[in-house]
Amino acid sequence: MTALTIDRINKRYGNLHILKDISIPIGQGEFVSLLGPSGCGKTTTLRCIAGFEQPDSGRILFGDRDVTRALPEQRDIGMVFQSYALFPHMTVAENLSFGLEVRKVSVPNRQRRIADVLAMVRLEGYDKRYPRELSGGQQQRVALARALVIEPSVLLLDEPLANLDATLRDEMRFFIRDLQQRVGITSIYVTHDQAEAMVMSDKIVVMSAGTISQFGSPREIYERPTSQSVAGFIGRSNTISGKIAEALGQDSYKVDTPCGSLGTTGPAGLAKGTDVRIMIRPENIRTLRHEAGTGHQQGAGEAGHGENALAGAVINSIYQGSANQLAVKLGSGDRIVVDVGGRNPLDVGEQVTLRFAARDTWLLAS
Amino acid sequence: MSAVGAAPRLEGRGNRGSASWMVVPALVLLIGFFALPYLTIITMSLREASTRAVYGDGFTLAHYTTALGDLYIWGILGRTLLIGATVTVISLLLGYPVAYHLAKSRSRWTSLLYIFVLSPLLVGLVVRTFAWMIILSNNGVANQALQAVGLINFPLQLMNNPLGVTIALTHVFLPFIILPLLGNLQAISPDLAMASRSLGASRMRTFWKVTLPLSMPGIQAGTILVFVLSISAYVTPAMLGGTGGRTMSVLVVQYLVDNFRWPAGAALAIIMAAVAVLFVGLYLRLTARAMRRLP
Repeated sequence: MTALTIDRINKRYGNLHILKDISIPIGQGEFVSLLGPSGCGKTTTLRCIAGFEQPDSGRILFGDRDVTRALPEQRDIGMVFQSYALFPHMTVAENLSFGLEVRKVSVPNRQRRIADVLAMVRLEGYDKRYPRELSGGQQQRVALARALVIEPSVLLLDEPLANLDATLRDEMRFFIRDLQQRVGITSIYVTHDQAEAMVMSDKIVVMSAGTISQFGSPREIYERPTSQSVAGFIGRSNTISGKIAEALGQDSYKVDTPCGSLGTTGPAGLAKGTDVRIMIRPENIRTLRHEAGTGHQQGAGEAGHGENALAGAVINSIYQGSANQLAVKLGSGDRIVVDVGGRNPLDVGEQVTLRFAARDTWLLAS
Repeated sequence: MSAVGAAPRLEGRGNRGSASWMVVPALVLLIGFFALPYLTIITMSLREASTRAVYGDGFTLAHYTTALGDLYIWGILGRTLLIGATVTVISLLLGYPVAYHLAKSRSRWTSLLYIFVLSPLLVGLVVRTFAWMIILSNNGVANQALQAVGLINFPLQLMNNPLGVTIALTHVFLPFIILPLLGNLQAISPDLAMASRSLGASRMRTFWKVTLPLSMPGIQAGTILVFVLSISAYVTPAMLGGTGGRTMSVLVVQYLVDNFRWPAGAALAIIMAAVAVLFVGLYLRLTARAMRRLP
């Protein structure tokens, strides 16, 4: 049963087509992130769900209830803003009480629920403080509590961590995710931070220019991106151009590249001769000092064997603490970024062999 | 106190030191053009009347006791305050929606509305007041129009009374309430209203519970401006008020210029100023209570 259905919504501002046939089914209790660069339509989508924008066409359903034309206050949502949006003239308790008063919850029930939710966000004893007396992280927890205390059917979060510093942001990611899972509330989270979306979400909707580029679990999005733009937006990736030489199985292919032929994994049904790009993540490549005697410039492409090898030279090395990021130039001229864990024994200028498994590659349409 | 604790205070004092120099020109201006004239008027109000000079040699409180014992003056004082209060309330009721609209609107016509709002200030005071005389007089535009459509048979008394003064003052002082309110309303994050609606509050409730309390500073500033300007206005009540709409400032000028009673007129001016300070002080107190929870 889908808790929230976004069904082919469109939105235009004058000549600008902001949302183009956006459809997203969201299951009960799921945490779904809308991810994309600014201007991709993720915030507009959220505002349509909240009721602050009306889609020009399409429907929005909460369960079976069509809320497309409903006012925000009729929708039963909880919303958390980037600016926190706490009422500055009300104490923490009064902020939390606001939505309960609207719902005509009795005073004792109100007090109990406020106490409960304050405990949940670990802000016991802060009820008489004003928002200005709290830190950014505390304010955001109050905002979260205010949205949750009314027990809405959907929780909407609009870049809630964007104003926090990096350390606090990491902490809050897990805090929000943990809270969301304990409460079991269906949540929609707008962010431009792919790491945030990766660690928090059940599903990610990658958006660009008003369309959905990909909708799937973090693992699917990361390991099986459907396009070059998704692969580029989520994490770091290398790509090598090539042409399908032959299909080896349902999802494995031999691909001819300027570096030789490589064994790869890709979506089913790619025809022989199709132009493709092979994506390899930096952390999936092992870097070995060049083995003397096998000094051929061609890849050791024993395609189908499942293991590929490419020769190249280190042209750059960046120390990142937990790992080193190397840039390796292949014989074909392609530049490949690889991660080398621990102490980096490789110097700039050294000849290396890059090894990676066919199952760690993914083919993208060229 | 340790040296570490003292450091920021020293820095603070240094800042204050450098800032105090910058106050000097303003201070000179204030003393020269505000404090000294006021002192002169206060002294004048305490002098005996004279037929040969502006005031006589001796000191007396007679001008105050006479004025305060005069029911006619109390009446005019009351009328002045009533006109001020009425103009303030009407300006607030008319100005708030305009300021609210200007703050929210993203339409390209907003700048046109801006010009409309400022338009009363773009016309000279006397010219504008003459225009109101043309509109409000017994055979003026307003009365002729009302008679033409058959709403009235006899002209309404629209000027030479407090009504005409109130209408014209509201017109000219409306921008003084709209502009502070506009600045205030623009500074309120639109997220707050959205948060309120997301919590289930209607537009109405959101306005009463969120927007209105947060716009109290703008209301306070605007209403004080309009009130003070209204009770001290001279040209408008002088031209449109007649005897029925005579205000304190008109009376003071009459004392000074027509009757040449400078000490008595000065006493009236001081009484008026004192009453204004009293009322504004009281009002500040009341509104401060409404704003005590604001940041």
